[in-house]
Amino acid sequence: MQKALIESICRTRTLSIVGMCKNAGKTTVLNWLLGQSRGRVLGLTSIGRDGESTDVVTGTEKPGIFLSEGTLFATAKDMLSLCDVTQEIMDTTGIPTPLGEVVLVRARSAGSVQLAGPSITAQLKTVSDRFFSLGAEQTIIDGALGRKSLGARTVAERVILCTGASYDMRMEKVVADTANIFRIMNLKKVGTVPAESDRPLAETLKAHGEALIPGALTDASVVPLLKSGVMRNVRLVVKDPSKVLLTPDTLDKLPLRNVALETVEKAEVLCVTVNPVSAYGWKFDADAFMKAMSKAVDVPVINVKEALQ
Amino acid sequence: MISIGFDDQGKIGLQYVTESLHPCSPFGQERVRKLRFFAPDERAALETELDNTERAAEAADRLGPLYEQIMLVLCQLKDIRGSVTRLSEGAVLDHVELFELKGFLMRISDLLPLFASMNETVRAEGIAFSDPSEALDVLDPERTRSRGFYIPDGASEELRAIRAEKKRLEKQLYEVPDAEKDPIRTERARVCAEEETEERHIRKAMCLSLLPHVPAMQKDADAAGRLDFLIQKALFAKQYGGVRPEITETALELTDMVNPELCDLLKAKGRAFVPVSIATDRGATVITGANMGGKSVAMKTLALNVLLMHAGFLVCAKAARIPMLESVRMLFDDAQSMQSGLSGFGSEIVRFNEALSEVEQGYSLFLIDELARGTNPDEGAVIVQAVTRYLNGVNAISILATHYDGVAENARIHYQIIGLRDVDPGRIKAELAAAHEDGVAVIARHMNYGLYRVEGKADCPKDALNICRMLSLKPEILERIERAY
Repeated sequence: MQKALIESICRTRTLSIVGMCKNAGKTTVLNWLLGQSRGRVLGLTSIGRDGESTDVVTGTEKPGIFLSEGTLFATAKDMLSLCDVTQEIMDTTGIPTPLGEVVLVRARSAGSVQLAGPSITAQLKTVSDRFFSLGAEQTIIDGALGRKSLGARTVAERVILCTGASYDMRMEKVVADTANIFRIMNLKKVGTVPAESDRPLAETLKAHGEALIPGALTDASVVPLLKSGVMRNVRLVVKDPSKVLLTPDTLDKLPLRNVALETVEKAEVLCVTVNPVSAYGWKFDADAFMKAMSKAVDVPVINVKEALQ
Repeated sequence: MISIGFDDQGKIGLQYVTESLHPCSPFGQERVRKLRFFAPDERAALETELDNTERAAEAADRLGPLYEQIMLVLCQLKDIRGSVTRLSEGAVLDHVELFELKGFLMRISDLLPLFASMNETVRAEGIAFSDPSEALDVLDPERTRSRGFYIPDGASEELRAIRAEKKRLEKQLYEVPDAEKDPIRTERARVCAEEETEERHIRKAMCLSLLPHVPAMQKDADAAGRLDFLIQKALFAKQYGGVRPEITETALELTDMVNPELCDLLKAKGRAFVPVSIATDRGATVITGANMGGKSVAMKTLALNVLLMHAGFLVCAKAARIPMLESVRMLFDDAQSMQSGLSGFGSEIVRFNEALSEVEQGYSLFLIDELARGTNPDEGAVIVQAVTRYLNGVNAISILATHYDGVAENARIHYQIIGLRDVDPGRIKAELAAAHEDGVAVIARHMNYGLYRVEGKADCPKDALNICRMLSLKPEILERIERAY
């Protein structure tokens, strides 16, 4: 992997790993990161419980998360019996989950852990702040899938987006949808935030040529304005990328009408990782997949099956 | 036992008081949430509590920074009582529970020097903490006193050996080629299981060694709650001016008492609460006055301050002499009763009966606001007169607010709202003519909500007529009223 990329990954204080689907190679990326960070103190947590059941004994097919000694992690109390590191309990957080309170633990030996962290952005922030106060140099958030993780970008400065053949049997769809998520995550960060208005969107745009979208930006509100011509040469600002619920088609039309879509909160996508092997039996041609994905995004693309092994 | 419903707590401003407190520990929060009133047979305990509060309040200025330090430690206390109970039942606590116990004991040892230094001045009686170092040594055998909880390798020879083996295997896993890793992983899984078993043995031994410390931990949790509550009561007294009440046998005497909720409410409007004084004893006391809120405020403020003392607070007054009471009952104007199906009057009588039977159980305070207000004035007056005469013979301090005539002479003691007594009507009229504001507001500003004691026979004040004059009621009507008086 490129040295510059590794450096910028290591320099990031809070990093989130977001997957397009299960078996996208998130855990492989995470373990690789954990391996890169030997000697530095890391804090590790997840958004909610990652549904994957990991095979601790064989450690092959579905990799477990393997920590080195000294790493801090936050997980639900009931998960502790499934972690085989020697544990030093550092703090309790009062954050409830269905699997018990979130507890901060220092691994006093290397070993595997099961993560089930907080599911609310504000709580994730609390946990990562505690990590830093316990001496962590970097916090890594094992993001769950989809929109929930897009919301976590207010916590993490930078993001690694993981995608793979498990998402869909058609490579074109995997590439297109990943590119769409990438595009939404990489919206331009806003310079000046338009004033909030309680007028209908059409009126605000006519009057000011720009609008701050208070909630979600949907096709239902955008498409009619595109058709009527109101939405032309204007600027739309969302609070964070998770608020953009536009279909790729609509998203494509915006630049054609010279509509700028910007975001208030923003985290940078550092790279996209691909896993050409699906957990459900099919497999993409690794080179073709890499090539298509690289063309669709303007950040480095990494094959987890090769570069990170 | 005094017990005050949620509605009444809100009405008299007791809820406002409890919400203005900021207890830091779960134990202190519980004491405020479940406010407990001392019963007459706990007089010695109440005296101690009041002495403690008085000394803590007196020292609040000088010890302010120390109180803050103590509160900071109290904030970090977690409620470990569940774990302690489990411990006493012989359960083996898990890592997180032991972590919380260790944290609790460490906070208690942080508290010890702070509390000792506070106690040089405050001399809080009945609050004491035990030295937690022996119990801490069980949970932290190597005496690192680190923040976390960790079973050290040295806890047993077996554990040391198991962990050394675990480390050796991990090192090996890094070194060997992938193909050879599986048997090492299997071996490591076995060692991890051994580690867990051995740790459980050690946790069990720790729990056994902690068993003798259970009573001390329970006592310390309770003491932390008392200390927390004490500081909050001291800060409250500092803010609203508290006085240590004298506990009497029967007499109830409050000089210049105030109601914090109304004080703050009026302050926000740029006005001030007029302090109320009242002295009464067993039997019926009647408060009369025109219908303008003064009577209810006086009774609510009285109820609040009597209850504050019973909860161990200083009293919001210049001076206070209060007896210990079996119960405090209040019958205030209550919109809810209207919805209960009975007519307003009917439900009032039902509630009166129920309250009276409780009041007759032992020396009590019985506050009745405008009994029979909903019925016709002639009948109402007769009813209230009879109730007043009956209450004279009941073993309770009964206070009735009424604007019915002929009630006061049936009572032992009669108070009247000062109202417009000392105001020159001519002056108000002149002021009304000059100002363009609402006439009612001008009158309200001149209204004196204080009480004065009426000796001998006196009718209700004729403030209504005064108000008619000041607000320039049509002269033809006014003339007729004056003639009829």
